[in-house]
Amino acid sequence: MPTETKHLRKINLRVAGMTCASCVANTEKALGDLPGVANVTVNLATGKAAVEYDPAKVTLAEMQKAVADIGYEVVLDRSHLQVTGMHCASCVTNIEQAVGELPGVKKVVANLAMGSAEVEYVADVTPLSQVKKAIQELGYGATEKVEGAEALDREREARQREIRRQRLNLIISGILGLIVMLGTFQPYWILPNIIPAWLNNKVVLFFLTTPVVFGPGRQFFINSWNGLKRGVTDMNLLYATGIGAAYLIAVINTFWPDAGFGGREATFYEAAALLTAFIILGRYLEAVTRGRTSEAIRRLMKLQPKRARVIRDGQEVDIPAEEVQVDDIMLVRPGEAIPVDGIVTEGYSSVDQSMITGESMPVEKKVGDEAIGATINKTGAFKFRATRVGKDTALSQIIKLVEDAQTTKAPIQRIADLVAGRFILGVHALALVTFLFWFFAGFALWFDPLSRLMLTPYPITAVGAFGFALLVSVTVLVISCPCAVGLATPSAIMGGTGKAAEYGILFKGGDAIEATSKLQVVIFDKTGTLTRGQPSVTDVVAWQQMKKDEVLRLAAVAEKNSEHPLGEAIVRGARAQGLEPEDAQSFNAIPGHGVTAQLDGRTILLGNRKLMAEQQIAFDGMLPEAERLESEGKTAMFVAVDGKLAGIVAVADTLKETSAQAVADLHRMGLQVAMLTGDNRRTAEAIAKQVGIDRVLAEVLPENKADTVKKLQSEGYRVAMVGDGINDAPALAQADVGIAIGSGTDVAKETGQVILIKDDLLDVVAGIQVAQATIRKVKENLFWAFGYNTLAIPLGMGVIYPFTHQVVSPELAALLMATSSLSVTLNTLRMRGYIPPIRRRGGGQVATSLQPREVPA
Amino acid sequence: MKSVGLISALIYTGISVVAAVLFLVATLGGEYTLVERLGGIAWVFILSMIILMPVVTPLVKRRLRPQEKVEELAHH
Repeated sequence: MPTETKHLRKINLRVAGMTCASCVANTEKALGDLPGVANVTVNLATGKAAVEYDPAKVTLAEMQKAVADIGYEVVLDRSHLQVTGMHCASCVTNIEQAVGELPGVKKVVANLAMGSAEVEYVADVTPLSQVKKAIQELGYGATEKVEGAEALDREREARQREIRRQRLNLIISGILGLIVMLGTFQPYWILPNIIPAWLNNKVVLFFLTTPVVFGPGRQFFINSWNGLKRGVTDMNLLYATGIGAAYLIAVINTFWPDAGFGGREATFYEAAALLTAFIILGRYLEAVTRGRTSEAIRRLMKLQPKRARVIRDGQEVDIPAEEVQVDDIMLVRPGEAIPVDGIVTEGYSSVDQSMITGESMPVEKKVGDEAIGATINKTGAFKFRATRVGKDTALSQIIKLVEDAQTTKAPIQRIADLVAGRFILGVHALALVTFLFWFFAGFALWFDPLSRLMLTPYPITAVGAFGFALLVSVTVLVISCPCAVGLATPSAIMGGTGKAAEYGILFKGGDAIEATSKLQVVIFDKTGTLTRGQPSVTDVVAWQQMKKDEVLRLAAVAEKNSEHPLGEAIVRGARAQGLEPEDAQSFNAIPGHGVTAQLDGRTILLGNRKLMAEQQIAFDGMLPEAERLESEGKTAMFVAVDGKLAGIVAVADTLKETSAQAVADLHRMGLQVAMLTGDNRRTAEAIAKQVGIDRVLAEVLPENKADTVKKLQSEGYRVAMVGDGINDAPALAQADVGIAIGSGTDVAKETGQVILIKDDLLDVVAGIQVAQATIRKVKENLFWAFGYNTLAIPLGMGVIYPFTHQVVSPELAALLMATSSLSVTLNTLRMRGYIPPIRRRGGGQVATSLQPREVPA
Repeated sequence: MKSVGLISALIYTGISVVAAVLFLVATLGGEYTLVERLGGIAWVFILSMIILMPVVTPLVKRRLRPQEKVEELAHH
């Protein structure tokens, strides 16, 4: 625990990345130079820095930055908390405010849609129990989030408990509220013939309404009081003041009718009862529907297999999947789920991997192939060796990534947070202004004794200035809806990240989705991204009496011991033709020129013009042919034997099946597409032409890729870089959005904000389409939420009363409010059926029917 | 922490009382019943408290927290 002397505190920070004594000195200096730091002692062995500091002068974030600036990292504790009882954006603000104020807490992000909070903190300063206590003191439940199937069960249980509780509340308040309403309106229309007159008795109505207010409505009073004690307000307070005021006036007018609040004709029992019922209806529907927005993650969790069949001492043993160890050999039969990740050691089968990679067709698995946990074995039985278990499996990594993404905030959410954080106060201020206006001016100017509550036959004849001003003021409190504002962005981001994950597209956060939706230029790395990254022989041209096979065989002999990709391509090409190259007696690689080899006393040369010229080989006769091949974007290599030209072998990389279609679709979406390569401009342009790319960034050295991306950004473009997550990491990091393609299943290691599990360029298109659809949904939701409040609040304030002589009743206000909140959730739920247009057209199938085309290596 | 709560409560309650008194003064110019005046005072007071509590408390907390820590440590 931290110790304190006078105004100083002492904390132990865990610092990662220190390797030597100078690291210690650097860290001590960086921290010691901060104003307010009195003493720093760094221990290399434990990796800890003991810092004595004045909290009034220096913050934890400043210390963290100082350490990060010199290349190390302060490792903070990170906890996921399951938070129950959050209902609106103010709850999020309240939790973030209360926890954020705790010393030692660096960052806290609460997520209304997921009912969770993620906290980064120094446990040495503030233990997790204190964080939980701060949340619980606000009236919410806070428990540590568990993972996997247990998390799923607990989360489901908590949600069902909430649904059950609100359902019971709804039944009680709904039935009693309906009876109170019928009793209130008993003298009107045909009701006197159906409803007994005693039900209109105010005392009877009192006894019917009181259980509603203090039963199902009790939660609002308790929660708002808990918040007020901590100096925070939330949606519950709006409900509590609304319900409380309506009920109090009704009680006074029932038992003290001459008190001057409008008398027995101005009781608002039905307002108090129905207001409670409608608010609870909103809560119930929200609890039911909100769980569905996180369906994607739930579906992923459900995939986790429960059992595994391990071979131990030659026997099949059935054990829980979480007990499988790395290197265990397991057996999987047809129809069974593969329990963990591993490598096939025996057998052959086809596996449905669609749940992880989004690939629609089953994938063949033979010895040496990777088996992904949670995928379904279709045809044969096979054995495999476990390589990744527990939290390291592909599925666990994907779940973690999607969960993390869903807890981060998109920049577009800032405006919603800003509004929602001040919403409740603003509405109360408006309610006060409204009350004062109608009390002092509006009532005298416009009040008509025959005026009615909107959509009711109920006149408000008896109310005085206070009663009328109070009625309108309460309506303002009830009609406003910060829930819709708070839910608009996170619910859509959850829907979008989940939907993308279904297609094997992983966004690392809400900010990544928003940035992806705004892209203007997409840069593809050439080798391994647009192309397969594996060159192959495309042409063999023989000179004079030589035969093509002989030229290829000789070239393969020269390259047999080469590790160069072009050499390997030639050897593969020869073997594909049934030509097994012999071993050369000697082999010599001449960098930048080619190779020479000796075979049975013959000297073989394979290389470029420079090599031929230096070895005085006459090759002019084949130059036109070489130039033709190069203009097609192929790499032409001359072959000579014993000082005489033998022919040319041309090698090229092949385009992926979907490259051209992906580029065409990006163009259709209005994006510019560029290609980044180290090739010379002529070759690069030849490839770009084949694939339909309009901007070529050629002759870029690997170390300059990031600078090239930066240059495009400086032209004002929002740029995505698509490439290999490891080799192109700097360029991916520089881009506004780094898209790592074909990462396979080890997603945690990838750089880039967007990770594509499959090696399919159409997923780049699908990713951008999902991001655009998500942000469109966010904007729709925000439009609904802000639009509703912009229209409803003035309506509640009685803006139209001078013209229509009708005011919105508090119960109608509650119904409108519940509908608004629900409309946002339902609008988000529409994303569940969303299919990216590229996949709607059967992108994958179309792509595979395209013939691969050749491009240079 | 106690002093933060107490000082905050004094400030927001004080301002709310002032608001309620101002309301009462404003009603003196019109023909309002006693009940209307009392009801109005109560509602203005409640709304003022609700508006001021979450505004005043963090402000006071921010001002007094470092001071409080020094006092707590001195007490220890």
